[in-house]
Parts: sequence; C-alpha cells; structure tokens
Amino acid sequence: MQEIPIRRLVLEKIRKWRWGKHRWILLALIILSVVGVNLIAPVQPHIQVAAENLSAEPLFTLPVLGDFYLTNTFLAMLLMDVVIILLALGVRNAAKKNELAPKGIGGVFEMLIEMLYNLTESTAGKFAGKIFPWFASILIIVLFANLLKLIPGFETIGLLHHTEHGYVAQALGGNWYTVTNQQAADGGYMVTPFFRGLSTDLNFTLAVALISVFMTQVIGVGAQGFRYFGKFVNVSTMFKKPFFGFMDFLVGLLETISEFSKILSFTFRLFGNMFAGMVLIALIGVMVPIFVPSMIMMFELFIGLIQAFVFGMLTMVFMAQATQGHGAEEEHSS
Amino acid sequence: MSGDIVLAAKFIGAGLSMIGALGAGIGIGLSVQGALEGMARNPDTYGNLLTNMILGIAFSEAIAIYCLVIAFLMLFVL
Repeated sequence: MQEIPIRRLVLEKIRKWRWGKHRWILLALIILSVVGVNLIAPVQPHIQVAAENLSAEPLFTLPVLGDFYLTNTFLAMLLMDVVIILLALGVRNAAKKNELAPKGIGGVFEMLIEMLYNLTESTAGKFAGKIFPWFASILIIVLFANLLKLIPGFETIGLLHHTEHGYVAQALGGNWYTVTNQQAADGGYMVTPFFRGLSTDLNFTLAVALISVFMTQVIGVGAQGFRYFGKFVNVSTMFKKPFFGFMDFLVGLLETISEFSKILSFTFRLFGNMFAGMVLIALIGVMVPIFVPSMIMMFELFIGLIQAFVFGMLTMVFMAQATQGHGAEEEHSS
Repeated sequence: MSGDIVLAAKFIGAGLSMIGALGAGIGIGLSVQGALEGMARNPDTYGNLLTNMILGIAFSEAIAIYCLVIAFLMLFVL
C-alpha cells in the first residue's frame, strides 16, 4: 500500500523539467566544434604504420639492431608510466590509512583487483596467486595505454616537419603554427605529434605478447616441472602403442606451433584494433568533423577496454592451462 | 602509367583481403547466438558465459584483424 505513492512521487520528480548543467555544456561543445571547424579546417593526416621519429638524428646506434630514434610512442610510454606510478602512489596512500572501506582511487582499485582476483581464482584454482600479478599488470598496462588518448592534444599537437606533399602552415603567434588544409605547391609542412597511442606501435604489443607467452612457459614449468615439455615433444606413448603414439607426437608438434602463433595473434589483435581505431578517427574527423568523431571516439574507448580485458584474460587462461597438464587427457585418448 | 596500375592493384588487393572478415563475422554471430541461448535458458550462468563468449569472440575476431592488418600493410607500407 505504501509503495504506490512513493513510486508516483519518483515518477513526478523524473518528469519535471530541470535546467540541468551537462546538457548545456554538451550543446556548447557541439556549437564550439562547428565554429572551430569553420575557423581551422581539419587536415587529413599522413598515416604511417611505424611510429614517427621526433629527433632527426638517432639517439644511439646498436651494432646489430641499428639506429634508435626518439619516437612519439616512446614519449607516450613514458607518460603512461608516470600515470601508472602516480596511481600506484595514490593507492599506497589509501592503503596506508587502513580504512575498512577505502574511498577514491583506493576504492576503485580495490574493486578492480578484487574482481580480477575472483576471476583468476575461479579459473586457475590454487595457482591464482602466481598467475594473478601477470594478469592484472598486463591488463592495467594495456588499459592505460589505450585510455591515454583521452588526453586533449594527444596525436594532434606536435612538431612541424617539411615534406614534399605537405600543407601550408599558418602562424598563430609566438612559436605556434597550425597547418591549413591547402596543399602547398612545393614542399609544405606536416605535423609529427608528440604523443601517439601506445598500442598503435607494433613494438609495444610484441613486447607484451612475448612477456605473456614466455611467462606462460615459466609458470607451466614451475607447476609441473619438466613434465611440462612433454606436451610439446610427446614420446611417452610412442613405443607402447605405435599408431596412437605417433599421433600424440604430431599433436605435440601442433602444440609447439600454436605456442608461436599465440605471440602472433596477441601482437596483431591489439595492434590491429588500436591502429584501425586511429585511422578511423582520423578519416571520420576529416569527412564529418562535427559531433560524429566523438561518437567514434566513445566506441574506440570501449574497444580499448575490451581489448585490454581480452589480452589479460587470454594470458590468464593460457597460464591456467599450462598449470593443468595433460594427465587427464592421456587417459582419455588411450 | 605503370605507377597508376600499381596503385590500383594496391587498392584492389586491400579490398580483396577484407573478404576474410566474412568468416569472422559469421563466427562471432554464431558464438554470440550460442551464448545468448544458453543465457536465456539458464540465467544463472550469465557471468561465466559472458567471459567465455568474449574470449571466443576475441579468437574469431583475430582472423578479421589479420585481414585488416594485411589491408593496412598494402595501403600504407608497400
């Protein structure tokens, strides 16, 4: 009996028109984007798979690997490290207070870590303590690498450099210039951004994939000892049952190949998703510069979240598989 | 003239390489269908099915991403 009036009250409250605050901010931003696009027309950026060099001369040279330049993804990585270290210090401060229910950063990270740990425990069982640090740190690193492009000026502010098919540069006052969308007749300018999304560099994704796959082997050996390698070179049943033993050997070869293809798929999944997102935002920003890029940006942030989760989750599942061994399956097949 | 033919071949090749996304789309659709049917019949397994579904989607999506990477290589690198 008492619920009905309360419900009616809530409904009336919801229906009442409020002036609000955020909707006007949103409208102002949309109008600002219309004005901004008319003042400075968007320019189609030069799209390049490898990270752009910021320094003209190489920083140092290694004998086999070649020259090392200061690239913009490297700067983005430093930025990501700083952000993660600051967050870690914040969490440390929150943990020092020893509250029962931490607030702010501490509370958010407690929730995140608890959720991830429960997920690990339900998959990996007693090896959760060993697997969890790799899972969580890979997830957090990839997550922040993907979310960093929320910072304004990311991928847009940078050094001007001279190219053959460039655009006319226009002085903004001081030492600041902007590129207009007029093609320069002979040798215009292009922007090399200071920061570029970290996951759009193949080196970063390859490094994380190598760490993930290598540590999977280490955890497998730690859990099963040298029996772990019996998965790859399977000669245990070769002499007892010639035919099925040979089949097991072939399966072991396939396992070896799939271990290497894990590196490939880890690398290109993250890189492909993030690079495609970058290209999509750049192209949509030239074609429909008003309001649509922000929608695409929202979708890209969602993709970045999902990819970070998938990267960590797959690492965790592979590590959990490596700890389990093949004992049950051998009984099944013979 | 020869440069134009090479450019056209690049674009055609990039377009053709994206045909591979067809299989990935079918695969993702099938896995989501299976997971949703499972969730509808047994709503208690929601969380478990969701994580496994996302894993399966990631595996089949990887194939489409390979196609995309090949297309990017043709467009921007070669």
